[in-house]
Amino acid sequence: MLNFIIKRLFSLIPVLFIVSVVVFLLVHITPGDPASVILGPEANPEEVAELREELGLNRPILEQYFVWIGDIVRGDLGTSLFMKQPVLTAFFEHLGPTLSLAIMAQTFAIIIALPLGVLSAKFRGSFLDQTFMGLSLVGISVPSFLLGLFLILLFGVELRIFPVAGYKPLSVGFAEHIRYLILPAIALGAMQAALISRMTRSSMLDVLSSNYIKTARAKGVKELIITVKHSLRNAFIPILTIIGQTFGSLVAGAAVVETVFNIPGIGQLIINSVERRDFEVIQGSVLLIATSYVLINLIIDLLYGFVDPRLRVGKK
Amino acid sequence: MKNFKWLSILMFSALLVLSACSDSTTESSSKENTSVEDKDYSELQVAYNAQPPTMDPLMTTAVATRDVARNVFESLVTLDADSKVVPMLAESYEESEDGKIITFKIRQGVKFHNGDEMTADDVVASMEHWRTTTALGKANFADATFVKVDETTVELVMQQKLFIALHLLADPSQIAMITTEEVIESATAEGITEFIGTGPYKFVEWKNDQYIHLQKFEDYKAVETPANGLAGKKEAKYENVYFQFVTDASTRLAGIQTGEYDVANAIPFDNVEQLNSLDNLTTSVDHNGFNAIVFNKRSGIFADKTARQAVNAALDEEAILTAAFSNSQFYELESGLMIKEQTDWYSDAGSDQYNQNNPEKAKALLKEIGYNGEEVVILSTRDYEDHYNAAVVVQQQLESIGINAKLDIYDWPTVLERRTDETAYDIFITGFPTEPVPNKYVFLDSRGGWAGWTNSPEIDALLDKIATASSQEEATNTYSELMEEYYDYLPIIKFGNKTTVTAYDSSIEGYDFLQGIILWNMK
Repeated sequence: MLNFIIKRLFSLIPVLFIVSVVVFLLVHITPGDPASVILGPEANPEEVAELREELGLNRPILEQYFVWIGDIVRGDLGTSLFMKQPVLTAFFEHLGPTLSLAIMAQTFAIIIALPLGVLSAKFRGSFLDQTFMGLSLVGISVPSFLLGLFLILLFGVELRIFPVAGYKPLSVGFAEHIRYLILPAIALGAMQAALISRMTRSSMLDVLSSNYIKTARAKGVKELIITVKHSLRNAFIPILTIIGQTFGSLVAGAAVVETVFNIPGIGQLIINSVERRDFEVIQGSVLLIATSYVLINLIIDLLYGFVDPRLRVGKK
Repeated sequence: MKNFKWLSILMFSALLVLSACSDSTTESSSKENTSVEDKDYSELQVAYNAQPPTMDPLMTTAVATRDVARNVFESLVTLDADSKVVPMLAESYEESEDGKIITFKIRQGVKFHNGDEMTADDVVASMEHWRTTTALGKANFADATFVKVDETTVELVMQQKLFIALHLLADPSQIAMITTEEVIESATAEGITEFIGTGPYKFVEWKNDQYIHLQKFEDYKAVETPANGLAGKKEAKYENVYFQFVTDASTRLAGIQTGEYDVANAIPFDNVEQLNSLDNLTTSVDHNGFNAIVFNKRSGIFADKTARQAVNAALDEEAILTAAFSNSQFYELESGLMIKEQTDWYSDAGSDQYNQNNPEKAKALLKEIGYNGEEVVILSTRDYEDHYNAAVVVQQQLESIGINAKLDIYDWPTVLERRTDETAYDIFITGFPTEPVPNKYVFLDSRGGWAGWTNSPEIDALLDKIATASSQEEATNTYSELMEEYYDYLPIIKFGNKTTVTAYDSSIEGYDFLQGIILWNMK
């Protein structure tokens, strides 16, 4: 297993190299630069040119790339032009809210999706099945920001049950921390729940028609045990894959929900950095997110082995 | 199934418990008529629509920096509600007979946020730093110097009289802030590293992309004159002020309705009526400068002023303003660059050229220059909806007189870059604050080299005449001449005055606005 893990970690290098080239080019080809954003719309051209020079933006693009790569190899992802702090510090400061939100959203999604998917499969073709799958279609179709605004209006403004926006760190208290994340977690998790429930249903249907399930029923095994122990566990591999993929996209893609709910997470960091052309933060954050994707996939691959011993890595 | 039932009961109970754990910021927003003594002054939550790029007002012209920094920093002189210059950290000032020296008597006993007392050395260091760092300082005071006369007196010594000197020193954007000599000495090319001022609030913390936290300065020494614009008595009541960065308008709107925030700026105009129907909220509509067309005067069709005059003849400003601001309560037709409230300066010179809405005249002018259907590019952004909506109407109005107008829409940083490229556009739409003196308008003076590239020796000469005027009367008369020249040369076309809407809890008094929100007297 150790060899497997080491090999996968080494595979990070070509992935990150390609990502670095793409993100660097994208950022530097896009018009607009941080100097004019920092100085404001009434700054005179000389001031802007002077600041561009100070920030090293006039250097040849290849030189800028290699300087940046050289710093990364030394563990320095650069310094934010706006926040005046290392990119790594800024990223990890913003990671906490995103992780909390992603975990809550995924937990909500799994709690809703697994039972829905299982019941849909068990009662395939019934009114229940059609209702659940209809709801999952709605979950996939409704944009998260729209659902978020609706939740704010209903539960925040009208019913005053939850706060409409903001973030409280864990240090303020677990209950407060969770309270501010409930609505954004639902907004974000709805689509994930829809995807997971559909995959669960599909995977369960495959397994429920298997011979060993028929055998278990014939032997008089209780239906609940057939469903959970014999069916769901065997159906779990593709479900686990989609959980892993959706979690990765939650970490990277909560930008819109973070903006609507004013949560200072990674998504908002990247959006703000794009708006103010904070090159170092954009580049560094994208690299770190790419790294996290690879690591999440690695963890999912290792988890396969727990679900299905035949898939344990390193096993001959 | 039984397990599932218990799980759902458990989850529902947990939700009930969590919803009961309410904190003070989300409890009922209906703060009933509590007396000033009973009220909770621990926090003022301000939902602000943008994060400042820096807390150093000398390093940027961004309004977010201006609005936050003004609570922390003060200047020798400032503006009252009529945009007249009044003393602030100066107790008084006096101009020499030849106008070349302005003598400031500094107020005594004023403390900085670090406990040090303000001295003449701090004032000289701060003002020299301002003079040599800001565009305003470099453009107008390059040959001047601030000198210490004695412990209570500082002089501004100029090579020639500058009539507008005090107005420039009082300008709220890039405020000529007074800080300690040590802060100035430790400043880098990127600005000061500590934010120590004399204002009613001191800087505590900046959580990036979340908030700036200010705290009441207990040793603040207020002037005794009544509050008046940016001048007068400042009586900070709230212990803590949080500028929460809430970029999404719907979030600010929801938050101000539920009491999550006490103040919310930049309320969308379409939502004002909704907020006005709520008893617990008050809205304030405040003058906030103007939007305008800026011409590319260096190349393309509008290098010829007749073409610019054709556009000016065609425009129906009312239609443009309605598109941008939805309702006449949010804009005002106004021809001049100095508004009526600037009583020292106001003039209606040139107003006959404003808002002509005369397509026939426009077409005749286009024919005169032999316009042949060349494409005209209008550069704008959706990041500011009022800019975009105005651009759409301008395009339609230009097309109605036969101009082949095309919209080029980008995000704001791209617009900022492209408007410095003379091949990238013919017109761009942007906004300007209302300046305390005409000379501050960046689009007037050719020597500033600002986007659009105004190049009028006549306008330059009139600006110089204002700068060296011997009296306000002379300056105002020259300004009238300037407006006549402005409407002939047309560096820009002003649409009309615009506003911004701020909402705040009805139980709060003392809100004010002058080129930005004024919070320090809110209670």
